[in-house]
Amino acid sequence: MNKSIITLISLGLTFISCFVYAVEESYPFDDVQQQKIFGELVEELRCPKCQNQNIADSNAMVAIDLKNKTYELVKQGQSKDQVIDFMVQRYGQFVHYDPPINMVTIWLWLVPIAIALILVVFVLKKGRREKLGSEVDANSLDQAQAIIDKLESKGKS
Amino acid sequence: MKNYKLLIPIVAFLLVSIFLYKGLYSDPTNIENANLAKPFPEFQLADLMDENRLYSKADLLGEYTLINVWGTWCVTCRVELPFMTQLRQQGVKIVGVYYDNAAEAAFGELDVRQTRREVTEMLAQLGNPFQFNIYDEKRDLSLDLGVTGAPESFLIDDKGTIIAHRRGAIDHRVWQNEFAPLLPNNHGSNLSEQQK
Amino acid sequence: MLPEIGHFSLLISLVFSVCLAIFPLIGAQKKIVEFVALAKPLVYANFTLLSVAFFCLSWAFYHNDFSVTYVAMNSNSDLPWYYRLSAVWGAHEGSLLLWVWILSLWTAGVAFFSSSLDDDDVARVLAVMGFIAIGFLAFVIFTSNPFERTFPMFPIDGRDLNPLLQDVGLIIHPPMLYMGYVGFSVAFAFAVAALIGGKLDATWARWSRPWTLSAWGFLTAGITLGSWWAYYELGWGGWWFWDPVENASFMPWLAGTALIHSLAVTEKRGAFKSWTVLLAISAFSLSLLGTFLVRSGILVSVHAFASDPTRGLFILVYLLIVIGGALTLYAWRADKVVSTHRYKLFSREVLLFVNNVLLVAALVVVLLGTLLPLVHKEIGLGSISIGAPFFDSVSSIWFIPFIIALSIGPFVRWKQDRFSRIKTKLFVGAVPAAIVAITCYLMLQINTFFSLLGVVLATWLAALVVYELITSGKKNPLPLSHWGMSLGHLGFAALVIGIAITKVASVDKSVRISPGQSVTVNNYEFKFTAVEQFEGPNYSAYHALFDVSNGSDSFSLKAEKRYYKMHSNVMTEAGIDPGLWRDIYISLGEQLDGDAWAVTANVKPFVRWIWLGGVLMVLGSIMCILDKRYRKILSWRAQRQPSEAGPVESVSANKVIEQKVKFE
Repeated sequence: MNKSIITLISLGLTFISCFVYAVEESYPFDDVQQQKIFGELVEELRCPKCQNQNIADSNAMVAIDLKNKTYELVKQGQSKDQVIDFMVQRYGQFVHYDPPINMVTIWLWLVPIAIALILVVFVLKKGRREKLGSEVDANSLDQAQAIIDKLESKGKS
Repeated sequence: MKNYKLLIPIVAFLLVSIFLYKGLYSDPTNIENANLAKPFPEFQLADLMDENRLYSKADLLGEYTLINVWGTWCVTCRVELPFMTQLRQQGVKIVGVYYDNAAEAAFGELDVRQTRREVTEMLAQLGNPFQFNIYDEKRDLSLDLGVTGAPESFLIDDKGTIIAHRRGAIDHRVWQNEFAPLLPNNHGSNLSEQQK
Repeated sequence: MLPEIGHFSLLISLVFSVCLAIFPLIGAQKKIVEFVALAKPLVYANFTLLSVAFFCLSWAFYHNDFSVTYVAMNSNSDLPWYYRLSAVWGAHEGSLLLWVWILSLWTAGVAFFSSSLDDDDVARVLAVMGFIAIGFLAFVIFTSNPFERTFPMFPIDGRDLNPLLQDVGLIIHPPMLYMGYVGFSVAFAFAVAALIGGKLDATWARWSRPWTLSAWGFLTAGITLGSWWAYYELGWGGWWFWDPVENASFMPWLAGTALIHSLAVTEKRGAFKSWTVLLAISAFSLSLLGTFLVRSGILVSVHAFASDPTRGLFILVYLLIVIGGALTLYAWRADKVVSTHRYKLFSREVLLFVNNVLLVAALVVVLLGTLLPLVHKEIGLGSISIGAPFFDSVSSIWFIPFIIALSIGPFVRWKQDRFSRIKTKLFVGAVPAAIVAITCYLMLQINTFFSLLGVVLATWLAALVVYELITSGKKNPLPLSHWGMSLGHLGFAALVIGIAITKVASVDKSVRISPGQSVTVNNYEFKFTAVEQFEGPNYSAYHALFDVSNGSDSFSLKAEKRYYKMHSNVMTEAGIDPGLWRDIYISLGEQLDGDAWAVTANVKPFVRWIWLGGVLMVLGSIMCILDKRYRKILSWRAQRQPSEAGPVESVSANKVIEQKVKFE
């Protein structure tokens, strides 16, 4: 088991054409736009076997396969969404770090917004309703509190 | 209690706890395969033992077939070989998809021979459950199947629809619970548990 | 022998904690002085016992006592002594012991510094903390005993510490993080005690503040360290991944940040009392939730401990009792908490509340984003992943209102103000913001809308903070806490600038390269000079040496790949040249055919500002804690001298008493 992991890791990038002694980019692109898409994709696609890593950061065999496939598809001129669809079809929604919007995931957006709105409305209503009363300034309230505490503790000691 | 909004935090917390409790007993790494209930992907690949013998999807149709993705380098695969051999003796059609290790794919021709030797040796030793083995050299078929590693198994019906999937080894219990009930004639349901 | 003493100390400490949770509380409610007086001795005894237990485990690690299972599993005689000691908290059992010990430390701190408080109140607070300790002690003793022996047979050598943890960052990261998590238990205990005792006044808020601030400071330090560690140790140059375990530490941080601001309002103006109590309960509850998520194996994460449903169930029951109990108490008692303070729509109170609302909204996003995959799967919709793309897009919208409220806040007066009064001041920041934006656009090619906006708003915030310091410092010397606040806000500005720039302007190149060759990334030429083999104490390694230069600046870097024999793990140690304006980052990948290697060379502008921001926030919190008025509160028996109450003060004193009567 361990041995196989080591071989996997150590040979992770051997698909690059062998025996050509030149500095080569691992995933060369002629098109800047394609390079950008590829960069985004490998960060957004999840390695389906790993703990919690995207395919850019993982050296698992399946992550390398997905990376190569992504490269191949992007090179063919497919758009970002097409590549994501391709992967999702095979590996399920799990493979994409951005969840699809459905009945459950929509709450990711709705709940925080709702909570924020409710709280804001609450404080606005309160702030508007309250008129400045003729109560004692809060600083002196504090001082008074401190005095009470002192008196209390004095009373006990 | 007059002020109902003070109840919101505790209610929200209890709701969350229900899911936390359920989550305790479900394995987060157990992810359903996306190809379930879909047709088996098309492919064109050579036999592991003979590069001139080509297979395609048509070779899998006509009867319920267990597709087993495996490799000699994978330890868990060894574990399930004897049980799968028993299944074959019971009349289950099993086809292997040889999932090559990245390491081996890199060295080309010579290495296929090495792989074949290892495969022959291992199957002779532990039992050969396979009617034939498809050599998924570049792991394209595996990728189309959403395979994440070896072993993985797919059960397809006579029309080539994937009806069951398993990540990891198949043993008597798994077969009994998840696969056997789906077969038309309930193969392998009377297998003993002796190999455990 | 020592492990047995440690184990025994734990058992006695559990008994003491049970006593601590029961008697002082009864004493405080029924006015039994003897019971109340029990609290502090029990706390100190607990602290001593747990220190003994912690010492015993450390001793076992230091002396390689592999008859103790936990030591055998997580240490090795080849480890240097400092890693043997930090291995104490390297896995589940020992880190829990650290957790419990830190809890006893905080409890002892509260007991020690609370002499000027009412004895009944202190007794309640300590009882709540004792109650918290019961659960964790029972958890350690019954499910995760670190002192268990492997008798009769024990290994000659241990299995070694997880190589990921053999690092300086990991020596200090967990203790810092736990100091933060557990530190929120003080605010929690104060809140629960106040709900039980029915006394919730400015003293309460003033008392909670320094404790909350220190816990928040520790948590900030812990998270910053964790992010920095991930950056240099995991080898892919990321500093935050929105991993469930990172989120688990981020949630209490968000709640804690909201809490320190809300406490300010409650202390100074007596407003938002019930809200502050809820936040105090939430911050610690989220710490506990984080502990549950990390240790139950319920979520897939790179950092999770080995999973075990029994342990998970134990913590879940404990969560239900502690959090559920506190929230029930809240629902039952909190409507008696009346905030009498009045304020107008445009006032500092409202702006601070807006800040709270935004922080809570962010908290809910993180909470849902962490737990929703679980829900999604449990209701049968299949597995989904929620990660960086989602969280990044939410935060890029979220920070806009947050940073605006943050910039304006300190200028606005309490109670009521007019926007026209501060309008002109806000323009002060506009000029530097514009200059910085143009510079970034031209020099760093930052051209996405949100990053530019981030830089602009953060610069604006920073300029306003400095302006505010100068103008308000003119009249009279500013208290330390004011400096602390400003420093914290500057830290946030630095964090935003760091994230905005590094996200967009970082350049990396993955290449196959052999010694003698070079590659150019963003004007920097990386020349691969040599590879050397190296033998460490418990690993062997390859060192790849690079000469980097961009004409004016040249230096050497060493990227490393380590192979740890015991765990057969491969670890990457990136070669980093840190700098305020840019980091050069080389990570060594796999050895390819021939003498070639896969290497990734990165230029990361401004990445250091992210941690600089964290450091500034920590410094800010330290300055706040050192402020005179807390020192006065915290000083031992300093408040005991009698003082005369002037006529005006006595009027307001009546008011407070009135308030208290109303509450009770």
